Amino acid sequence: MQTRIRKSMIGAAFGFAIALISGGFAGILAGLVAGLINGYVVPEAEPLADKRRAIVQGLTVALVGSVLTILGIVLRNVVIDPIIGVPLNLIGVAIAAVGAVLLCVLVSVVMCVVRTEPPARERIGMAIVVGIILVTYPWLDQFLNLRFMNEVIPVLVFLLMALGLNIVVGYAGLLDLGYAAFFAIGAYAAAMVSSPHFGLSLSFWLAIWVAAAVAAIFGLILGSPTLPLRGDYLAIVTLGFGEIVPIAIKNLDNVSLSLWNYPLFVDVDLTGGTKGINPINRPWLPIIGEFSPSNPIPWYFLILGIMLISIFFISRLRNSRLGRAWTALREDELAAGAMGINTVNVKLLAFAIGATFSGLAGAFYGAYISAIFPESFRFDVSVMLLCMVILGGLGNMSGVILGGIIIQFADRLFLPQMSTVVQKLIVASGNESLRDINFASDFRLLLFGLTLVLMMVLRPQGLVPSNGSARVLPVAAGEARHD
Amino acid sequence: MTNILETRGLTKRFGGLTAVDSVDFSVATGSITSLIGPNGAGKTTFFNTVTGLYTPTSGTIAFAGRSLVGLKPHEVTAAGIGRTFQNIRLFGNMTAVENVMVGMHSRMHANVLGILAHSARVQHEEATARAKAHALLDAVGLPAQRADDLSKNLPYGDQRRLEIARALATDPELLLLDEPTAGMNPQETAELTQLIRRIRDERAITILLIEHDMKLVMEISESITVLDRGAKIAAGLPHEIRSNEQVIEAYLGRGAASMAHAHARNGGEPT
Ligand SMILES: Nc1ncnc2c1ncn2[C@@H]1O[C@H](COP(=O)(O)OP(=O)(O)OP(=O)(O)O)[C@@H](O)[C@H]1O
Ligand SMILES: [Mg+2]
Repeated sequence: MQTRIRKSMIGAAFGFAIALISGGFAGILAGLVAGLINGYVVPEAEPLADKRRAIVQGLTVALVGSVLTILGIVLRNVVIDPIIGVPLNLIGVAIAAVGAVLLCVLVSVVMCVVRTEPPARERIGMAIVVGIILVTYPWLDQFLNLRFMNEVIPVLVFLLMALGLNIVVGYAGLLDLGYAAFFAIGAYAAAMVSSPHFGLSLSFWLAIWVAAAVAAIFGLILGSPTLPLRGDYLAIVTLGFGEIVPIAIKNLDNVSLSLWNYPLFVDVDLTGGTKGINPINRPWLPIIGEFSPSNPIPWYFLILGIMLISIFFISRLRNSRLGRAWTALREDELAAGAMGINTVNVKLLAFAIGATFSGLAGAFYGAYISAIFPESFRFDVSVMLLCMVILGGLGNMSGVILGGIIIQFADRLFLPQMSTVVQKLIVASGNESLRDINFASDFRLLLFGLTLVLMMVLRPQGLVPSNGSARVLPVAAGEARHD
Repeated sequence: MTNILETRGLTKRFGGLTAVDSVDFSVATGSITSLIGPNGAGKTTFFNTVTGLYTPTSGTIAFAGRSLVGLKPHEVTAAGIGRTFQNIRLFGNMTAVENVMVGMHSRMHANVLGILAHSARVQHEEATARAKAHALLDAVGLPAQRADDLSKNLPYGDQRRLEIARALATDPELLLLDEPTAGMNPQETAELTQLIRRIRDERAITILLIEHDMKLVMEISESITVLDRGAKIAAGLPHEIRSNEQVIEAYLGRGAASMAHAHARNGGEPT
């Protein structure tokens, strides 16, 4: 019971935060999200066998979620809004609150009931619930006038990368601090072949495979010098690679190569230097036509599709000879070798396959914003990805997704909106000296750093650990066993 | 009788310390052979050198007529040598079945493309491996309801048994056991003795055993080799070893209470 209430605070906190920062009808979405997260997290911690108790559990969980969500709605729409000059609309508040409670209860109860089914049916049931929400979301967003779509798409891009990083760090236990490099490499590879830059202008549907392949190859190239390294040393070297790649990209704008004084090419602009590559071809599909920057819906379904397919294939890898070899490698490299695993090959495969997903994400991202710059792939991207993987639970895909959503939500929605609200409150209070504080940019990295440190100290296994077991970062766990 | 394993002048030095000192050693095919010696004699180092964790400083290792010098651990395993560790080294966050399935790695063929395509061959191989893993757990006497427990949550005796199952999963011709009864009570030790015999008799796997429990060693071994300070000081049948002056001196001369109680362990595998 205690754990149930405690666990249901995760979803409730989400509901509260969404309602608080976005105001208006976002409260309805807040209730939905609170219900969904609680319906996932709470039965995970406390499995239930029979339907009646599941309904009771769903209601308890929904109660916590609803109360906090309504608190958020009231705080924002009734207390804060009038101060910052938004007129109070009591009918709107009431609709948001009722909608939030209804959705929260509905989703929590359905999820809790579905989760009492035997595993195969449980999985199908959850997929249906989540699927309905994901498919209808763009229209809910429009209907409630939320305008979150342009943030949801990059969130999905980052989730895809987090899933790839999870293969390297979570499954194989190789702490990679330069993973964003493969995002850059994939994005640039796709941009080079799918833009007027070299006059190639391949279709997006081909370029994305080029990006995946090039990223995989670079995964092998950058992975091989790190093979003898472990733990901290591996982290430092990959950190270096993560820094080198964007710098190299920035400087590859006039490349000359000669063989024994015989110039092969002179002053070739490979990457566009600091200007980047712009424009990049957008995907084209029959009926939809070329994806347009003003309509996010096709983009949303494209990245969602890429992500679902990735999840599908990653879970196949996970439950295979190769996936077991990765886990064995993470658990005890020496014993893994002695049990017949070629540790060199298996590590390289982890780097290459992990990089592939980052490459896919890069190709999509480049096409989505139709431009790329070396600045988009800085170290903080790697750190943020690592935060996403660790917060939810190393080695567990649903944990990584949950952790990823929390971090991304905080970074893209909560902090910026919060800082606008705070700014307005400061203006309203007439305190001039605080006007220049910008929460979004000033506290961003601090927040990630704090999350990483706190998670490692307090809960190294993450919010949703796999198999209920502790999977800990190689560094946090201490390198080798000395027993 | 042929020898499945033969070393000539096998030497392993760590800086100034000669842990294994020109050891000529042979294991007859199909036998249960024991390697004994006081603490720090170099027994575990000998195992580690044979299995490719260490490269020998000098000397030769021949396994089934083939040289093992310079092979990586996974190549030695693929060649047909399975092993357990003195300090249990299971994959703690994997279940018992998964641990055993990891042992089958070098006997399985699924590659990335097959796995992604979930080909019929891969599915079949996976199902066969799982069934075989359960059979191996059963064979070493691990309770069936423990099969899906994380190995780190198993009781100590079960962990030792699981290590043997995992080593058997590599489908070895020669099985190296490094103090398999360490820390076990007399009843568990007796069960394990039976198990070792059964493995040899039913699976025709040659066994090389490091063991401090002299009762077990004398009871089970067909041949015993004794190491002391890295060097081989005796080799022969159990009754020959029992009465060998040099062996008694190696054990007693160092202040150990008796041959049967030479104990206290630490260290072992490289880290
Ligand atoms: N990796 C290593 N580096 C340096 N010295 C080592 C290493 N491994 C073993 N040694 C040393 O080699 C000697 C032999 O050790 P080994 O572990 O082989 O003995 P053992 O016969 O297995 O002893 P025990 O019965 O205690 O297990 C010891 O002095 C040990 O300290
Ligand atoms: Mg030893």
